[in-house]
Amino acid sequence: MARPDRMAYPDHAVRPARAARPGRRSRARRSQLLWGLAFASPWLIGGAVFIAYPIGVSAYYSLTNFNLFQSPQFVGLANYRAMAADPVFWKSLENTLYLTVTGVVLTLVLSLGAALILNLPVRGQPLFRALLYLPTIVPVVVTGYLWRWLMNVQYGWVDRILGLLHLPQPDWLESPTWGTPAVLLMTLWTIGGPTIIYLAALKNVPRELYEAATVDGAGPIARFRHITWPVISPVTLFQVIVSVIAYLQIFTQPYLLAQTHLNASTGGPGNSMLTYSIYLFENAFVYLKMGYASAMAWVLFLVTMAVTAVVLVTSRRWVHHDGR
Amino acid sequence: MSRRSLYRATVALAGTAGVVLLAAGCASSSGGGASDARTTVTFDYLWTGAEAASLQQIIKQFNASQKQITVVGISNPDSQKQLASMSSSSGSFDISDNFGNNVGAWASKGILAPLGSYMQAADMSTSDFVPAAMNQVTYQGQVYSLPIAVHDFELLYNKKEFAAAGIAGPPTTTQQLAADIGKLTKVNSSGQITQLGLGNPDTETTLTTLGYVFGGTWDGQDNRTPSPQDAGDVAALNFYTQNITDKYGAAKVAKFTAGWGQYGSPQDPFYTGKVAMVIDGEWQPVMAKGSAPNLDWGVADIPYPAADPNLAGATQLTASTLFIPANAPHKQAAFTFMKYLTSPAAMLKFTLALGNLPARKSLLDNPAYASIPDFSVWLQALKSTNVHSLASQPYSAQYSTDLTTAFNSVLLGSVSPATGMAQVASQAKAYGAP
Repeated sequence: MARPDRMAYPDHAVRPARAARPGRRSRARRSQLLWGLAFASPWLIGGAVFIAYPIGVSAYYSLTNFNLFQSPQFVGLANYRAMAADPVFWKSLENTLYLTVTGVVLTLVLSLGAALILNLPVRGQPLFRALLYLPTIVPVVVTGYLWRWLMNVQYGWVDRILGLLHLPQPDWLESPTWGTPAVLLMTLWTIGGPTIIYLAALKNVPRELYEAATVDGAGPIARFRHITWPVISPVTLFQVIVSVIAYLQIFTQPYLLAQTHLNASTGGPGNSMLTYSIYLFENAFVYLKMGYASAMAWVLFLVTMAVTAVVLVTSRRWVHHDGR
Repeated sequence: MSRRSLYRATVALAGTAGVVLLAAGCASSSGGGASDARTTVTFDYLWTGAEAASLQQIIKQFNASQKQITVVGISNPDSQKQLASMSSSSGSFDISDNFGNNVGAWASKGILAPLGSYMQAADMSTSDFVPAAMNQVTYQGQVYSLPIAVHDFELLYNKKEFAAAGIAGPPTTTQQLAADIGKLTKVNSSGQITQLGLGNPDTETTLTTLGYVFGGTWDGQDNRTPSPQDAGDVAALNFYTQNITDKYGAAKVAKFTAGWGQYGSPQDPFYTGKVAMVIDGEWQPVMAKGSAPNLDWGVADIPYPAADPNLAGATQLTASTLFIPANAPHKQAAFTFMKYLTSPAAMLKFTLALGNLPARKSLLDNPAYASIPDFSVWLQALKSTNVHSLASQPYSAQYSTDLTTAFNSVLLGSVSPATGMAQVASQAKAYGAP
């Protein structure tokens, strides 16, 4: 766009304001910018000091031998090499990936199933919704001790119910085989959150689509497959990403379940409850290996980013945005 | 916003900041006790409840005994907070407590102030302290901490169950112990265990103690190299598995132990008779009196292998220790208080109140301890030359975690004792890595 020519405006004419006062305009903009920055400064400074700086420093610490009390010593990639040769690291990664894969799938299936049931026009539905959400608001420490009792092989109700159904009654908390599924079982108790999100998504599916499909002869399965699932697919994408991140960082549930009766934390039987975050915590705050823990944190960050990227890329095939 | 209102806002902000700074300054001067010449020493300790209450009594007596130092005791049972405070340039406390097995790791990282120069200036000797306790608080020849109380482990047995099984008295050799475990373990008609001859309140402590009983060492002859494959250590694990988990079934033992009540509570398996014998510490007389006042129990030295009588009296010692952080603001005053706390008179009061063992040899025969039933067995055990303690080295925390994991795998029957200890030995090679 051409610059307005001064000659185009005779002296007696009223010049447009923005062309007439360029100095005042830039001052006003600068003032607005400064006010904006001033109001945002707590978050900008906080973000820089408490988020950006620690992230940057942790990247450096991951290349050092650092114990929190003495100056870090640069060791190059030694922490990453040590990680590759550490069997406990691999065990914790294996447990975490197992929990992530099975946990995300089960969380989605169970929460969507529960949301579909809670979306049915049944009397007393608000009560059922509240009951399903209730475990989510119970403090996780209380939940942890409750499940230690529920899964006790001697007097726990989980095995008692399995016994009534003539099913095997595993030793959830003492067996290396059942330690990881025990963590999963306890975690799935709190699917109230994803269920409520799915329920809100189901409420937003246009009823006329169902009506049209019914007129065309579509049954419940066809309606779910061709209407419900595509319409709620953006919500499913959100649930997948949030669940993947939560499971990759899982700490509190296995930490509580693996506690011994002397209140010392362990990785559970055969390290079956040792997750990546617990091992990272042990290295950082029990062994004071901050360099190694920082390297572990960066690997977890990269794994999380990679998994999220894969989910986002593949989502183009199964997520439908605005009917596309 | 007009220029005038901006000016007003700036003045108001500056005024508020001034008031806050003034208040902070006033608080600082009053909190620092600048009005008198006494130095305020902050004693941040992990003890709570009755133990903290008895400690406060001793602090009160110390404060009344002199005019230079005022000790402020704060119960703070959060070891992570303790570490965080010690990582700053100026610490929030002058003296604190922890366990002997942390001394080496903390000393190697410069967290603890060495005590040698203070002890020398105060003409304080360590010769009266139990040697195994000093082993845990000394790192590379330098004392970094002092023990205020120690703990050792003996064999506790249920007299009623012994009588019912026709056993005259506690076993003295490991062969007799094996036989008694067999007599005292009961299995019902469906093959489930209903009573265990020997149980363990804490797997790591029981098995490391048995390692010493069988002549083993967990930290090599130099006391600074992990040695989980030592013949005595593997023999101890073989003894436990052959007489308990392998004999009665690891899964059945695990199922039985899963039903045990809380340790130290009235539902503790030793108090309820589910377990006839345990290897446990000197705090049991006080604990059992509270939770199981009617239990008829006794205590004896841990049996030794009949083939090697020189191992009689073997046990493990752990220590509760006092230390001064390297970033403590008042180190000299803190040491003066530490010296008082570890003096025979204060140590006697403290250990009597807690039902713990004194760390000084000169107190082992003190008649005041006769008020605690059966305490003398634990006291006299400290005189043995076979009292050992795990080394306090930079690797200790990681070694402890790996041993606990391996012990659990051995007791679950997942691996043999030899394989489990070989795995720990393999992991130990990486302890020196960054």
